[in-house]
Amino acid sequence: MKMKSMKKVVGPEYNLGDKIKTNVYAVGVAMQESVYPHTATVFYPRERKKMPDNFRGFILFDPDKCISCFNCSFVCPANAIRMKEAPNKRYYPTVDYGRCIFCHFCIDSCSGGALKATKIHDVAYKDMDAMFTPTEEMIELPEIIREDKKYVEYEIKEDDLHLKRTKGEDYLFVEVPPPKEIPMVSTCIDPDSCIGCRVCAEVCEHGAISASVEDGGTLRMKIDTDECTGCGLCVKECSMQILMLNKLERK
Amino acid sequence: MAAATGVAGQSEWEVAVPEKPLKDKTYFENLKAKVIDTNLCSRCLTCAAICPGGITVVGNKVDFPDYETKCLDCGACVRVCPRFVYEPKSGLGDYIEFIAGRSKRFAGQDGAMVTELLVSAIEMGMIDRGLFAGRDEKWATEMFHVREPEQLAITTLGGTKYTFADVLPALKEAVGFTKRGVGIVGTPCIVSGVRKLQQEYPIFRERVKLVVGLFCTENFHYGDIGKFLQEKGVDFSKLIKTDITKGKFIATMSDGEKVKFKIKEVEEIVASGCGVCTDFTAVESDASVGSVGSEKGFSTVVVREEPAKKVIDFIKEKEHADFGEAKPEELDYLINLKKGREKNINSDAASS
Repeated sequence: MKMKSMKKVVGPEYNLGDKIKTNVYAVGVAMQESVYPHTATVFYPRERKKMPDNFRGFILFDPDKCISCFNCSFVCPANAIRMKEAPNKRYYPTVDYGRCIFCHFCIDSCSGGALKATKIHDVAYKDMDAMFTPTEEMIELPEIIREDKKYVEYEIKEDDLHLKRTKGEDYLFVEVPPPKEIPMVSTCIDPDSCIGCRVCAEVCEHGAISASVEDGGTLRMKIDTDECTGCGLCVKECSMQILMLNKLERK
Repeated sequence: MAAATGVAGQSEWEVAVPEKPLKDKTYFENLKAKVIDTNLCSRCLTCAAICPGGITVVGNKVDFPDYETKCLDCGACVRVCPRFVYEPKSGLGDYIEFIAGRSKRFAGQDGAMVTELLVSAIEMGMIDRGLFAGRDEKWATEMFHVREPEQLAITTLGGTKYTFADVLPALKEAVGFTKRGVGIVGTPCIVSGVRKLQQEYPIFRERVKLVVGLFCTENFHYGDIGKFLQEKGVDFSKLIKTDITKGKFIATMSDGEKVKFKIKEVEEIVASGCGVCTDFTAVESDASVGSVGSEKGFSTVVVREEPAKKVIDFIKEKEHADFGEAKPEELDYLINLKKGREKNINSDAASS
């Protein structure tokens, strides 16, 4: 195979006029940068970067919406979520931020919509033990001392990064519109295998399942499709695993 | 209402509630009065498998701690208990085939043929998991879900244990997980428990595909047999095999040492439920296996139902085992011995 002859790279030859021209341009850029710096640095904490709405930060909790289904603690890949018994005998999540990897699977899996994402990413702890956040501290936002008077957005113009500063505080909550609900209702898929333990009726928070003993030794079980919210608690608790959530089709 | 998943669901249904002999007591108290306290209980744990509350074993007896507050009074335990309305079964029953077999793939006493049956059933796709009783270092039983033949590399799964295993609570769990079906092994009382579950609840009828019974004269509580063997000088850390042959209990150690004693000596610690059991061959099983009736090294296999027949045909086709002749008449002595226990049932019922 014949080798191609190599080409020698030769630097451009500047004459005196070109040299003066480039030097003057460089001094001009330096002076411009000293007056109006064109850097990408955000001067935190006096200003903050505006985080996108899908930012995954500190997790907030609303106990009124929690159905204690344990889904968040089951799904957590880092085992950061533990369920603790609250004074009202219900189980609520606690988050250990020493373990949390901020995947927000818990928020995605929360069937009651009780967990909410925020854009807070700068919570400081004094030691590892303090990173364990009990339920009470998850209800309110953590105390933040805010010095920021403006927020910064990045924008790309002509292949160059520019900062766009806006006065005002960035709102740290994430307001996600509630997902379109598919109405689900609990149904029994194998009535003959029901042992009649009535655990479903006992756990139902909405009183949708009723069990009544009739004369003649039969137990009549009934799921009220109007009351059932499709939370799935009975499906989880059914000892024979014969309850199932089905799409509700109204006539 | 049409279901999203293709499974029709119902929002109204009825459950038959069983009758209570003692009207003002809970069902568990009824069970306790009629079965547990009268020493009829075989400790098959069918009740514990179905109980949504907490029936469990305390000491040597089936019990329900805090039943006053925790019992849901659903009646499931009474519905499934094989001895609440006890219809003792005995004899050899009807069978399709009566053969002796020796597994080529697995080593062991009668366990090898049982393992062969379940593993072949997994391989032919009849079941997707088999329940095996294993043991820990102290010879207490533990249940294993075997889904791949490779899992049987755990050597403690083979071999007879002569203590009770919690097979049926594990079966309930397996029935929840299974896609194709479950296969289980058990003593005659466990087989009766499974049949009762299948009779009452369709979920077990559909998902328990293969029930292998074991020839059983009696069984021992873990605590009792452990204490007894320790008194005889058996070191559990070295024990590798227990066996009953020709009226002698033989415990073999890893260094080859054998501790032997007559079976009459252990009669005192035989579990009370076995005293009223008349079933030697697990009459209700799909196939039952035991050493009596065949030559040394072989196990007798009594094939009773169609699913077990298919498995045996599969083993024959693949040549996983040698087959030979077995003699039904050799079983007569033990069958009659157990049939003789019928008189205990009546006297117990009279005393209660």
